[in-house]
Amino acid sequence: MVYRKTVKEIIILVGVAVTLALVVNYLSPKGIALVGQWDTAKGVITANATNDDDYRISEIDWIPDARKIFDNGDTLFVDARSRDDYESGHIPGAISLPVGQFNEQIESFLNQYPPDQSIVTYCSGRTCEDSHHLARLLSDVGFSDVRIFIDGFPGWEAEGYPIE
Amino acid sequence: MSNLGQSIIKNSWIELAARWILGLIFIYASLHKILSPADFAKIVYGYDLFPHVFINLIAIIIPFLELIAGLALIIGVYPRSAAIVINGLLLAFMAALTINLIRGHEFDCGCFSAGQSGYSSSTKVTLVRDVIYFVFGLQIVLFEGNRRSYFGRLNSRH
Repeated sequence: MVYRKTVKEIIILVGVAVTLALVVNYLSPKGIALVGQWDTAKGVITANATNDDDYRISEIDWIPDARKIFDNGDTLFVDARSRDDYESGHIPGAISLPVGQFNEQIESFLNQYPPDQSIVTYCSGRTCEDSHHLARLLSDVGFSDVRIFIDGFPGWEAEGYPIE
Repeated sequence: MSNLGQSIIKNSWIELAARWILGLIFIYASLHKILSPADFAKIVYGYDLFPHVFINLIAIIIPFLELIAGLALIIGVYPRSAAIVINGLLLAFMAALTINLIRGHEFDCGCFSAGQSGYSSSTKVTLVRDVIYFVFGLQIVLFEGNRRSYFGRLNSRH
């Protein structure tokens, strides 16, 4: 029976693939959880990679809180999106520091701001992890007060807050 | 079926070429997904088609199906079954692409490159490419006779 033989072979191939996938994912430092966080109502979406465990930078998950921090005026907003996105609209006074160009731009950033400067990073909202990556990079280079505004520019804009 | 079609299906050199081409393409396509599963999971999420609980499992397992089926094709282990697995994957990809094309949902297919956010190749081009791969796969599935291997002839007649 060619048909039964083929079914058996497919089961073997799929079985090997699934087993190997789970083992490699379990052992790899880049592995991810079996279930990710994909609900934007609960926060930023993420596959929950195993190496994300030290992501303990505080998040601002209510837009009016970000506005309060903005109104206090002593916190620097840092835009993690691309330069183009930044130029077509950003939170007033925000500095552009695209996460992809962090290495090229961090030196001048460090010269401008002391390590105790309060910083809030943001990007394109809850489907975007760049503000998290940027916040982590900034705290790695010594900034002690870094928070993440997870609703980002779209959330800010949707509230009708000022942009520039 | 036409004589040309028959002779293509029966041609063992075409069968060998189809296995190598498909095999290499699928192994290549699997590697970046295996190396950055979190990025690939995000791409799966971007398709906006799957229940959230399955997104990570899809992102973990699909690349290894591509890798194992691709390797099986090249080595010549269970070639017909491996081609059926690959054509099954291709049908699933084409269904996902078509649904999103029809409803105008823009996204990154993630076929060959994870982690280039903002980049999306044309869905139609991707669909045409998948159809071509599917035809290669079909030749391997329908082929009857002794399959060639790199080292000689494979014995199995399936």
